Amino acid sequence: MTTLDQHVGTRPIPNPKNSLITRLNAGTGLIVGLIFTVATYQGLAKVLDTSVYHLHNQVLLATMFMWSIGFLVGIGAFIGPIRWLIGKDLTAEEQLYMAGDGQGIKRYFKYCTDHKVVGIQYLWGVIAMLAVGGAMAMMIRTDLANPGGHFITPSVYNSLVGLHGITMIVAMIIVATGPFGNYIMPIMIGAADMAFPRLNALSWWVLFTAIPVLCSAWFLGGIPTGWTAYAPLSIQAGPGMNAFIATIIIFAISTAVAGANITATVIAMRAKGMTWNRVPIFVIGATTSVALAIPAFPTFMLSMIMTAMDRSFLTGFFDANVGGTGWLYAHLFWIMGHPEVYVILLPGVAILMEIVPVFVRKPLFSYTAAVVGFAGIAGLSILVWAHHMYMSGWMPMLNGPFMVTTEMISVPTGLIFLVILGTLWNGKPWLKVPMLAVYAFLWNMLVGGITGLYLSDVPADMYLHGSMYVTAHFHYTLMGAALTGAVAGLSYWYPKMTGRMMHERASYISFWLVQIGFQVLYLGMFIAGAEGQPRRVVDYAEQFATSNKISTMGAYTIGIGFIVLLWAVIHSWRHGKIAPMNPWGAKTLEWTVPYPVPLVNFDTPPVVTSDPYGYGRSAK
Amino acid sequence: MSGHNDVELKPTPGDRLTKFFRRSDVIQSTIFGVIVTIVFVILGGKFYTQWMPEIMSTDMKAIEKLMVVFTWISAPVCGVVLGIALYTFLNRHSGDTPPPDGPATRTNGPIVLLWSVVTSLLALTAVIYGITELNSSSIATAKNAEDAMVVNVVGNQWVWSFEYPELGVQSHELMLPINRAVAFHVTSVDVNHSFWPVQLGVKIDANKLAETFADTTPTKLGEFDVKCAELCGLYHAYMETTGEVMTKADFDNWILEQGGHTA
Repeated sequence: MTTLDQHVGTRPIPNPKNSLITRLNAGTGLIVGLIFTVATYQGLAKVLDTSVYHLHNQVLLATMFMWSIGFLVGIGAFIGPIRWLIGKDLTAEEQLYMAGDGQGIKRYFKYCTDHKVVGIQYLWGVIAMLAVGGAMAMMIRTDLANPGGHFITPSVYNSLVGLHGITMIVAMIIVATGPFGNYIMPIMIGAADMAFPRLNALSWWVLFTAIPVLCSAWFLGGIPTGWTAYAPLSIQAGPGMNAFIATIIIFAISTAVAGANITATVIAMRAKGMTWNRVPIFVIGATTSVALAIPAFPTFMLSMIMTAMDRSFLTGFFDANVGGTGWLYAHLFWIMGHPEVYVILLPGVAILMEIVPVFVRKPLFSYTAAVVGFAGIAGLSILVWAHHMYMSGWMPMLNGPFMVTTEMISVPTGLIFLVILGTLWNGKPWLKVPMLAVYAFLWNMLVGGITGLYLSDVPADMYLHGSMYVTAHFHYTLMGAALTGAVAGLSYWYPKMTGRMMHERASYISFWLVQIGFQVLYLGMFIAGAEGQPRRVVDYAEQFATSNKISTMGAYTIGIGFIVLLWAVIHSWRHGKIAPMNPWGAKTLEWTVPYPVPLVNFDTPPVVTSDPYGYGRSAK
Repeated sequence: MSGHNDVELKPTPGDRLTKFFRRSDVIQSTIFGVIVTIVFVILGGKFYTQWMPEIMSTDMKAIEKLMVVFTWISAPVCGVVLGIALYTFLNRHSGDTPPPDGPATRTNGPIVLLWSVVTSLLALTAVIYGITELNSSSIATAKNAEDAMVVNVVGNQWVWSFEYPELGVQSHELMLPINRAVAFHVTSVDVNHSFWPVQLGVKIDANKLAETFADTTPTKLGEFDVKCAELCGLYHAYMETTGEVMTKADFDNWILEQGGHTA
């Protein structure tokens, strides 16, 4: 795609004759998907009366799943499995064709098994989702700029809150493990590809099919429930809710596939000599994250299947009238929901830990503490879910125990801080954009962590629960810490992923606009929460006017900052300065391969003899 | 720490500590850290008392104290983190080439141990403080159980209703007598709501066909806001009403006006 790409063309391009695979791409996927969609809807609507609530839900859900299946059929996802069923497999030439070598930009629109292609697909998918979610945030903040404003109706507002929430959550779950976990991580551990390249392609394209489904919510009346989709509100909601349910189920399948693939790759495909204590810390963090997602997401999927059954077959799992309870939903949701925030946070933190030693030129301080920190956070995170339910009245006696487990998380989180501070200590940091992000992280995570302490405390949460304070708190951790880490990862690995340096001045400008805007936005929101403004409200009393105005100004600053970043990413992709092989002088394996990275990454498989943190004057 | 000299001279631990605290980076980080800690202690005392609404009950008083104490507990943590961060940030390396390598410190056992112990102790302090507060509020609940005035709270999209079963009154405004314990029995007729009389520092979800409980003792006369803190559909933002803490005499009058009977 760039001029750098062209010398790949010297190798023969595989061209399996008469193979169906060569004719399929995202376009045929769209066509078959649309045929499935229309056929399913028209067919079912003839049999089932769509004016009846639960029958309409059945028709819509079936249509959405058939779209997903149709698209996958059309792009050729099932060709391999079908061949296996009849006792054959793809020919060697077909497999090579699927890896996409030498096919230029076309391979990004195909069922391509090369982990580097999948990484770039994820990157642009994530950027698109963040852009849409961010635009929604701007609309929310515009509405909240003044009390009594009628920029949008309550119905549109509630939909925006739900769609912004779920779009951002989905984007943030894959923001680091998607692009960098796929593109960089296999090279980092010295592997030729992922353990299951076809599953890798599957995980991306399954996720891709969820995007139009989620968008359809807007045209089906929106999601009035927030991203938590609490029952019974979700049972009462209109047809847009089906889109939410289908999105989550499709997304859960995608993350299960991706999680299994990444975990298997790290366990089985590490280079010779890369013992567990020599694995780069980003790999540890990303693997912990996806491994945590493997048990967490099925409960979300289950809660959505039960919601779908309540809506489509009137089963009443969450309907108190027939013996169900909304508390059951809340439990299933948060048993996923709390591990999930660490699924988002850990890879972001791990990226920053990877960055610190490179830019301070010192070994990572106490690798063991970092690993124990990740493991401790992951382990404790599955024992804290009911702190979201202190005020639900479900079982007040258990509030005490859940408070203890929740506050104990500050200990492994403290280790994360120790590792970064210990690495900084005695060092002179090279303040390029990735390193600046480390400082932003230290501040944002500190604020996010301390405000989490108030929320973890039952009596204080009695006041703060359900207020704007909560919204500000989790944006500090998810956006201030995790997204900052992911953006740092983008500017750090951009040279390896595109062969060019990211526009430096634009990156700096974007960094400061986003971070300053961020502090302004959420300082205002902390104040609004402390003053007593509930979250998810379309309108508020006069007394909250000042704090909300501050927040909206901060939000616009962030918006401008991210537009600058987007410009930098797009502009530098074609016009950036050509990057040297190892612009930061880092010691991890991905910097030993040239750009464009060869199809199997390494000409000769690397042998590892030490961990990648051997910086320092008197290095061993 | 100039590592080579230290090893040759074999200084005593006391000497090394003195030397450590004379290093300019240690002194500067410490100064930054102390300033940050002091700022956070002062802000912690001011911020929440300034922004949080008027204290109108025993619970709200405990909550505000808790917020301040937690800020104080976390102030030294902010001091350590930001002290080191600020110092290294100001001593950055500029230029287009990477800086020279720093010392090859891989880890420092005693520091890791010290850090883990101190953060554990701070977390433990927060836990113990929170549990104590939780306990004293349950003791208060138990003590009040006998003579608390019962108010049945019903959440309905998008209206709050209050019933005083012992006094035979129903209302959409929450009137309470001062210095008398009140027990809220909360339920919903449709989706989840969350009953939040803001200045009373009480919050409890309203669930369909289930009853949840909360209690407090109003301690200050005046009006307060009642809001919904759980997204409950289209007009969630407007599901609010007002309440008032009154003297016993005023409350009795109000009850009689509403057609109820005083106890």
